[in-house]
Amino acid sequence: MLAACAAERETIPTPPAVPLSVHGAWARAADSGAMTAVYFTLANGGAAADTLMRVQSVDAAAAEMHVSTQHAGMMHMSPVTALPVPATDSVAFRPLGAHVMLTGVNRPLTEGDSVTATLTFVSGATLTVRAGVRKP
Amino acid sequence: MIRRVAGYLWVMRIKQLLPVLMTLVLAACGEPMRGIEIRDAEVAAPFVFTAFDGTRVDIAAEQGKVVLVYFGYTHCPDVCPTTMGDWARARRALGDAAKDVRWIFVSMDPERDTPELALSYARQFDPSFLGVTGTTEEIEALKRAWGIAAYPEGDTRANDYTVAHPANTFVVDRDGKLRYLYEPGVSGEDLAKDLRKLL
Repeated sequence: MLAACAAERETIPTPPAVPLSVHGAWARAADSGAMTAVYFTLANGGAAADTLMRVQSVDAAAAEMHVSTQHAGMMHMSPVTALPVPATDSVAFRPLGAHVMLTGVNRPLTEGDSVTATLTFVSGATLTVRAGVRKP
Repeated sequence: MIRRVAGYLWVMRIKQLLPVLMTLVLAACGEPMRGIEIRDAEVAAPFVFTAFDGTRVDIAAEQGKVVLVYFGYTHCPDVCPTTMGDWARARRALGDAAKDVRWIFVSMDPERDTPELALSYARQFDPSFLGVTGTTEEIEALKRAWGIAAYPEGDTRANDYTVAHPANTFVVDRDGKLRYLYEPGVSGEDLAKDLRKLL
């Protein structure tokens, strides 16, 4: 019986190496309950494109992908529901562009602190982003 | 033949000197301002607010100082803190000269932002920054006077709506005239260089 279980376990395929990676993650300092933004570069070193579908964070009441856009002298911020990450390419989350918006951070975020966000992709891959907090 | 060789050498010399000449010309002209200059600048529209700490700001009474105004909101996680961060770097780069500059953040979200919140938001970037807001009626009057727009986007019944607001920093010169608009993303160091020219 035990041998059978062991054999079963051995047949479970190991997941493929995740080609996605995150670099240079940082977030702005914020008061408890306030909003902040998380920025990073998301790289896809794999041969297949993927799509970022969801962001979550244990450090805030809500996390969403947003993009800031400028049109006719006005700044707008819009939620993004899916963000393609082309194969062998990268996507920059940076000020005045795409960012992860954390709403209602659950503690004061000060310089030297960090926040985490989990990214979930269409492929089923997940990535945990650990972003160091910088001065606002 | 000799004349042709002499001419060739002259052209070569000019080519060699060209970068030097261009540098001299640029130095003489100075670096261009990064802001968008408003031609036929007029005196800035009325702007009178009292901050939560009692500081009264009336741009008409600030002549002799350069005044920067940004119309944003405190729930703005990206462009507003990016701009305020650039202001803070400009403030530090200016050193003592910053005493003749006023930095004013105006919340265009009177539904959620109080004068207290607007002030504490601005001061987290630099203690010398002023943050103000007003009643809905006062903000509407400000929009009309300055010819600007700001409006909520998304579900305003929820507390997490966004506010569309002017992208640029408005710069009022020492004569009280609205002279320049600075797009977001101009670095603090570049902003400081330009402000020095206006002081």
